Amino acid sequence: METIAEVFTRYETVVTHKSGAQEDTDVEMEDSVLGEVLNEKIDAEGSSTERGRLLAAYILAVQGQLSLDSDTIKFDSGMTTAAERTADLTMLHDISDTALPQVDCQVCYNIMLDPVTTFCGHTLCRVCMSRVLDHSLHCPICRRVLALPPRIEEHPNNKTLVDIQNTLWPDMIKARRETVAAEEVGEQGDLNTALFVCTLGFPEQTTFLRIFEPRYRLMLRRCLEANREFGILMYNRYSEPQGDLGPVHFYQIGTMLRIIRVQVLADGTSLIETKGSERFRVKAHGLVDGYAIGNVEPIHDVNLAEEERIEAAETGLPPPTDENDVLGQIDRMPTADLLRFGQEFIRKMQGRSAGWLQQRVLDIHGQPPDDARLFPYWFASVLPISEDEKYKLLDTRTARARLKITAAWIRRIETQRCISYPALPTWVG
Amino acid sequence: MTAPLPKRIIKETERLQTEPVPGISAQPHDDNARYFDVTVQGPDGSCYEGGVFNLELFLPDDYPMTPPRIRFLTRIYHPNIDRLGRICLDVLKNNWSPALQIRTILLSIQALLGAPNPEDPLNEAVAKQWKDNQAEAIKNAREWTKLYAQPKE
Ligand SMILES: [Zn+2]
Ligand SMILES: [Zn+2]
Repeated sequence: METIAEVFTRYETVVTHKSGAQEDTDVEMEDSVLGEVLNEKIDAEGSSTERGRLLAAYILAVQGQLSLDSDTIKFDSGMTTAAERTADLTMLHDISDTALPQVDCQVCYNIMLDPVTTFCGHTLCRVCMSRVLDHSLHCPICRRVLALPPRIEEHPNNKTLVDIQNTLWPDMIKARRETVAAEEVGEQGDLNTALFVCTLGFPEQTTFLRIFEPRYRLMLRRCLEANREFGILMYNRYSEPQGDLGPVHFYQIGTMLRIIRVQVLADGTSLIETKGSERFRVKAHGLVDGYAIGNVEPIHDVNLAEEERIEAAETGLPPPTDENDVLGQIDRMPTADLLRFGQEFIRKMQGRSAGWLQQRVLDIHGQPPDDARLFPYWFASVLPISEDEKYKLLDTRTARARLKITAAWIRRIETQRCISYPALPTWVG
Repeated sequence: MTAPLPKRIIKETERLQTEPVPGISAQPHDDNARYFDVTVQGPDGSCYEGGVFNLELFLPDDYPMTPPRIRFLTRIYHPNIDRLGRICLDVLKNNWSPALQIRTILLSIQALLGAPNPEDPLNEAVAKQWKDNQAEAIKNAREWTKLYAQPKE
């Protein structure tokens, strides 16, 4: 394959040959007449017009007769001949075909899009550079340490290269931009929700996460570009079957998290603060660039009338025959009592200065909510019990069902003589 | 549902077919374009000369951000290749760079056959033999090559 330098050398031979005829001609050179003069000269040589205007301009430049600030050259005839046009096009194709491989990105093998040049002088697409940085702090080409800001967004494009590309390959750049835009959404058909398989999140509750794995850094970047939301799912350690999905590596019900704040550390790790929105169930899933994506359906509570109907039916049941049937008793408690039961337990525990209700926990999660729908989620966010227990809250359709679960937890805690509360982790998740 | 194959993998595969590396072949599976059947000929002048070694190569989902996964399927007596065919090669681990490619990695493996390095062993027993009695080790390597790595007619 020819290099650009070789193309130029090839054309230069022609130029040098031509210029010989010009040197002994003493012509006053002005931009406006240069082309004319040149055409005449070439004409005089007898091999004129099929050389084309590009070459004419090039000859002028090589001879030092084209001043740097001239942006137009006038030719003797306003018309271009077919031969001239063909010659111009051929030369243009020669140059662009030869130059094209030079602007291929060495990571994605496509024409570089939004090229970013490193301190060591190497250039990649912006998206490719970002992904390299997710994995390594070294230049992929020369392995020197990349001195780029932790947020690559703050590093400018290589402007000169962008101009050259936009001039020579506008269509390719446009097509590439469209492809990258589609890819960077990180979706495949209806698999349009990014899934972070890690831990539990709950509606309206705050979750802090530390994002350090390369694939999740990419996911985070894409979420921030889009609607700032992703789904969080608990890891399915024991490969338990998940409905139609089978034994997938995550539990099928999760919570959408909205990113509130992001802090990027020098090593590229991000600390994010999120707030839970609605719950969802994964209907189908796939993999994009190493992380899971899915088609999800929201899980909503039943309406208030239905909730009240269920409450009336359950509270109306005759008392349990066995007076030690704790769950039977919980089943029959009015919803308002279930909420009060939980709130009182919290007050009691605060009175005993329980470690899991320290001020810094409340600073993160707030005071226990009065809303019966949300109280169990808050409770699960602060209570140090197993995630598998907490997961039960996600697959519910009524506030009442969730309050019954939390009431059962409280009963169990209270019957345990001695409860050891594990120290709370600094970061949840 | 699988993502479309990245252009990079398509281009690398094409080039492996149109401009093959001497002594190396890499053929993608029909049903999985990320999985390659690889053969590497033992370099001339090495104790693996005349042998044809089969390897499997897999391009993970985040290739080229992470290196290809490669292992020998043919048994080989080599201090940097263990019994499971795993290869101790820096460019397949910490020294991987997305600017490297299948072609360069296979060349590195071929070079490793030409220059076993018992100082950085993956197969302790073989490495020890290599250091204690190199002549014997080379003889073993030749025998294994005859035994396991004969090209199929
Ligand atoms: Zn690129
Ligand atoms: Zn570099």
